[in-house]
Amino acid sequence: MIYLLLDTSSTNLIVSLAMDDKILYFYKCEDIIEHSTVLLKEIDIGLKHNKLSISDIGTIFVVNGPGSFTGLRVGVTLAKVLAYALKIKIIPISSLEWMATTEFNGDYIVPYIDARRGYIYAGMYDKNLQSIIKDQYISITECINFLPKASKITFVGNTSVKGIETFIKSEENVISIIKKHKSDEGMNPHLVNPNYLKRVEAEERLHDSQNT
Amino acid sequence: MNTYILGIESSCDETSMSIVKNGREEIATIVLTQMDVHAHYGGVVPEIASRMHIENITLVLESLLQKANMKVEEIDAIAVTYGPGLVGSLLVGVEAAKTLSYIYNKPLVPVHHIAGHIYANALEEEMKFPLIALVVSGGHTELIYMKEDYSFQKIGGTVDDAVGEAYDKVARVLSLSYPGGPKIDALALQGKDSYPLPLPMNDSTYDFSFSGLKSAVININHNEKQRGNSIIKEDLACSFQNRVTKILSKKTKHALESYHVKNLIVAGGVAASRGLRESLSKMTSEIGVSIHFPSMKYCTDNAAMIAAAGYFAYKLGHRADLTLNASANASLNGGK
Repeated sequence: MIYLLLDTSSTNLIVSLAMDDKILYFYKCEDIIEHSTVLLKEIDIGLKHNKLSISDIGTIFVVNGPGSFTGLRVGVTLAKVLAYALKIKIIPISSLEWMATTEFNGDYIVPYIDARRGYIYAGMYDKNLQSIIKDQYISITECINFLPKASKITFVGNTSVKGIETFIKSEENVISIIKKHKSDEGMNPHLVNPNYLKRVEAEERLHDSQNT
Repeated sequence: MNTYILGIESSCDETSMSIVKNGREEIATIVLTQMDVHAHYGGVVPEIASRMHIENITLVLESLLQKANMKVEEIDAIAVTYGPGLVGSLLVGVEAAKTLSYIYNKPLVPVHHIAGHIYANALEEEMKFPLIALVVSGGHTELIYMKEDYSFQKIGGTVDDAVGEAYDKVARVLSLSYPGGPKIDALALQGKDSYPLPLPMNDSTYDFSFSGLKSAVININHNEKQRGNSIIKEDLACSFQNRVTKILSKKTKHALESYHVKNLIVAGGVAASRGLRESLSKMTSEIGVSIHFPSMKYCTDNAAMIAAAGYFAYKLGHRADLTLNASANASLNGGK
């Protein structure tokens, strides 16, 4: 089985190809500004490098958020059109779970993404990628108070945020995702969408005004 | 040999795909509009628009292929609106187009949104050159000179609000729900031109300005309220629309005469306005110019017009590669 994994959820862009439990191609670029100009080209390079064609792909893992709204749109649109057209399995992966594939010491790993204004997207996972605290949009202070005090926790992120002093940089592992999710039932491509974890501000205002 | 173009349009709040044969014959079109959703907010919310395009993109593709009873394999090229428009919305169409082009190994043709509006006319009759195109919509007000097929020379445009934008803002002043343009047009027909509004940017250029006119409407509304008078909506709508149509007709006439052109094409959502149609038709008949309006369904954003323009661009060899990006402010000049 050939797997394609796409991550456009942040300023990192990751394209990876794997065959069963062997990595064929892993491209990671930091500080991407325009995901759209790079993504398809990198997929093409990865495929050609391995003498594969796009129709050889059997399963797509697409990192669908939370994270950069614009980045997510590029990756998710590409993935769902690909899955629909090629009639192949598509499995969305949480960007926080994806970051939690980073190797760490201790009991739990807390991946986080800066959501600005003192907020982060964060969750807590164990070493088997089981979600212990679900992914959420939360203030940094609240997040820190919320975490179990007795456990040894490692933060993993890509940028420093005020309130989280020590963290490790994410080193994502494709094989962990394949192992955990390869038997998952694929989603209907029409229903795969970014998981923004945050409503549009205009929606929030409308919602608030209707509830008062 | 026939050429089939798959067009994709997502520049604002319509997710649309279409298949057009030889640039002239519409095989099938799907337009999924988000208008009802944005009506809650009194206008298009870009982030919501973009989110909805992603939700709908493959559904629209599936519906199109079913309706056309065709496969992507049978298409000759994929044409997509790359700009101008809302960047988050454009991106979804561009990414989908690139992905399809890559999977099926089909040429990718970038189409400027305004070129699409102009080529909506090709779907109903053969376009005759040279021509002047007046493009009027919620996002655009432009006068374009076309010497021949797919050659665009922008000779004038709005310096502030687009005409459709002014309509929507005035509609809000008159407490009409979004989108207010068609409602103003309807009210204007019942009213009389009794309010003293300025004729905006009444000069010898081909440019337009609608923000001052809009402010004048807001001021009249405000002042009358202060005095305890109520506004006669029909009359204010009529006065506003008369200024808009007068200046559009005047500058279009100026362009037709200066460029010695005998064909006028009107395109874009505001081309649906009866007031504007009347005013322009009267002007063109006076100077012996033939005028062409696309049908209503081709005035608003749709992918058939993108596929039609895409056909002519394809024939001229216009191509984009996998690095094509959305461009919010793409300019229409020369051949692209």
